[in-house]
Amino acid sequence: MTAYSIAGLKARATAERDVETGRDVAQGFSPATLREDQVRLGLWMFLGTVTMLFAAFTSAYVVRRSGSDWRHVALPPMLWVNTIVLAASSLALEAANRSGLGGGWRAASGAFAAALALGFGFLAGQIAAWRQMVAAGVYLPSSPHSSFFYMLTGAHALHVVAALGVLIWGAAATWSGDRNRRAWAARMGVCRTFWHYLGAVWLFLFALVSIY
Amino acid sequence: MTTPFVAGPPHHADPAPGEHAVGFIRRWVFSTDHKIIGIQYIITGLLMGVAGGALAALIRLQLGWPEHRWMLLSHLLPNGMPSGVMTPEFYLAVVTMHGTIMVFFFISYVLVSGFGNYLVPLQIGAKDMAFPFLNMLSYWIAFLSAAVMLASFFVEGGAAAAGWTAYPPLSAVSSAVPGSQMGQTVWIVSMALFIVSFTMSSLNIVATVFSVRAPGLSMMRLSLTVWSYFIASILGLLAFPPLTAAAVMLLLDRHFGTSFFLPSGLVVANKLLPNTGGSPLLWQHLFWFLGHPEVYVLILPALGIACDILPAFTRKPVFGYRISVWCLVAVGCLSMIVWGHHMFVSGMSPFSGEYFSLVTLTITVPMTIFGVNMLASLRGAKLQLRTAMLFSLGVIALFGSGGLGGLFLGNATADMQLHDTYFVVGHFHMMIGGVTLLATFGAIYFWFPKMFGRTMNETLGKLHFWFTFAPFFIIFFMQHFLGLQGAPRRYYAFTAYDYLQKTRGQNLVISIAAMVLLSGQLLFFLNFVWSLFKGPAAEANPWQATTLEWTVPSPPPHGNFDAIPIVQRWAYEYGVQTVDGDFAVQTVASHHARVTA
Repeated sequence: MTAYSIAGLKARATAERDVETGRDVAQGFSPATLREDQVRLGLWMFLGTVTMLFAAFTSAYVVRRSGSDWRHVALPPMLWVNTIVLAASSLALEAANRSGLGGGWRAASGAFAAALALGFGFLAGQIAAWRQMVAAGVYLPSSPHSSFFYMLTGAHALHVVAALGVLIWGAAATWSGDRNRRAWAARMGVCRTFWHYLGAVWLFLFALVSIY
Repeated sequence: MTTPFVAGPPHHADPAPGEHAVGFIRRWVFSTDHKIIGIQYIITGLLMGVAGGALAALIRLQLGWPEHRWMLLSHLLPNGMPSGVMTPEFYLAVVTMHGTIMVFFFISYVLVSGFGNYLVPLQIGAKDMAFPFLNMLSYWIAFLSAAVMLASFFVEGGAAAAGWTAYPPLSAVSSAVPGSQMGQTVWIVSMALFIVSFTMSSLNIVATVFSVRAPGLSMMRLSLTVWSYFIASILGLLAFPPLTAAAVMLLLDRHFGTSFFLPSGLVVANKLLPNTGGSPLLWQHLFWFLGHPEVYVLILPALGIACDILPAFTRKPVFGYRISVWCLVAVGCLSMIVWGHHMFVSGMSPFSGEYFSLVTLTITVPMTIFGVNMLASLRGAKLQLRTAMLFSLGVIALFGSGGLGGLFLGNATADMQLHDTYFVVGHFHMMIGGVTLLATFGAIYFWFPKMFGRTMNETLGKLHFWFTFAPFFIIFFMQHFLGLQGAPRRYYAFTAYDYLQKTRGQNLVISIAAMVLLSGQLLFFLNFVWSLFKGPAAEANPWQATTLEWTVPSPPPHGNFDAIPIVQRWAYEYGVQTVDGDFAVQTVASHHARVTA
């Protein structure tokens, strides 16, 4: 295993990008790097559409909020725990990334396992929160607020399920013996972007249904 | 014709480099090749177009001959036309499904997804789309979506009947009309599948244009076709998610007792519904936030394609290329903020109405510039009136005359009078019906030789053009005047109103023209199928055109290009002399012919 550093990775990535931008003057390009670029681009576009989806839900929330029958329902305190779990998961993923870039693969593997476990924990926590709501007699049609709560958290949870699939894909690269570092870093980039994005969406949604 | 500067390999039966020996299923059914997927979309869309056309025929039979008993049809449609005359409920379902199928499953599939898939990688010098597997997945989900939509005719209560816009409460209350039962649910499921498929397809096109353009192919050297698909795909990515959100809420309202769109005090079938406080207008906002960009998703590729067909038959570059590109960008941006002009009569604040009027009239500026550029592209040219060219000219004609109606409808004060009349029906059929239909046919005649290696028959093609353009213009031009007389759209029994009795004759003429239009399409299908098997073999570049797809054999091999082409110039280098003729394909080096852009 050769010595490896973030600075080195950045320098390498820059060099490859230079080759890529040079492709307009017919210098050719590296297919592997192109594929990684495409995946990153595809992910950002996908996140763009997801943003539009939640923007539409939010605008519907704001419009419906002005209805005379709007009644806030009590949200389970469990959501605070879930928020902390999701934030911890994001931090663990960052730790895995840092460890991997520094060559600490054992630490990276452990941190990634923690990130995944916390991710599943968040999902379990959300299900527990819904069960608490149901136990308290607050159902989907009970009030506009509860309708939005179940719908927004449900839509977010579906995206979390998809993101956990992507995290498993990233974890497989971390746990496997074959460590093509550039490909690994690219995969980590996808995992981190998607996961942190969903963390941010959760913070926004939680604030929306709690405060407004 | 020889093309000495062109790097097109000779056509050979052996697999091209990178092509694996794959079985029939992987090669023709679950293919990841963008060309096969494009053709799959086109064939699926054409079949859906036949279904949509049959529904149009039913509508016109009812409106042209309101009391006539069609006994043959009563056997074919025992529920919809039990005594040979259509039931009102069935009429609503037919209108709904005609609109849905034509907008989402015919034009979207053939023109946007079909030709988008086929042309974008070829015209940018790529071997395939950025994500070939995702592309295959998009097609099969699209196919499933179409199958589900057609299946809705056979569920309890029949197909959805709330219009292609699916306005609640009609779409949200199962007991409203028969079509509001299972048919509406199936409609929503089908649309959800469509959105998933279309989003993946759009993402693929944008990623492809961004990431795998051939060396030398800067954005300002792209053909207007590629530009139009690029902008349309970005619009699709941003505009469809709100409809997804709306569809989720509609499903929850329908099946889980929520009140997103259902207001208090609603009485349906003599029963007070328990819902409270919902807003039907919320659906309209979310729907049109998609719906208006969607019309540009459809019409921009039509305009882009027409612009690319024109120069091959005028033998001169398109006029104002750069301005046209910026017009496409401007229209794309503006299309996201004008949706409220569909809702002027919804009781919106006059200030909102003023805003939506202003931005709507603003969008006519880039659209008009684009249209004038198309017209100016013809100036001074010796027109070669081949079939594809006739259809392109038809696009300009319909775009110009149909667009005029938009000026009235975009103005809130005029729209108050014209809303929900046949003026609207005439306008949007000319634009997203006619412009797109003619561009679709133009594209088929123009790229058929590339797709299948054979050429379509010109005489049949020209006959087909006149049997399409003339009745189409008559039908929808006349409908503007029906609207001015106050004829409301979607009315099944217009003869029940005294003031509409005088429109009987006009409706009869429109119905006869519609039958001519529909029968004229037999010429197309005959030509298509005959040419597929018996058409004369096509050269690599039969139209002496300049874009990259004409540098490869017809049909192109798997992987398109043996070596990635090096692009030397823009897409419209006509009127220069090379050994090929009065044009230079994009790969011709600068020392062989002057580079103008």
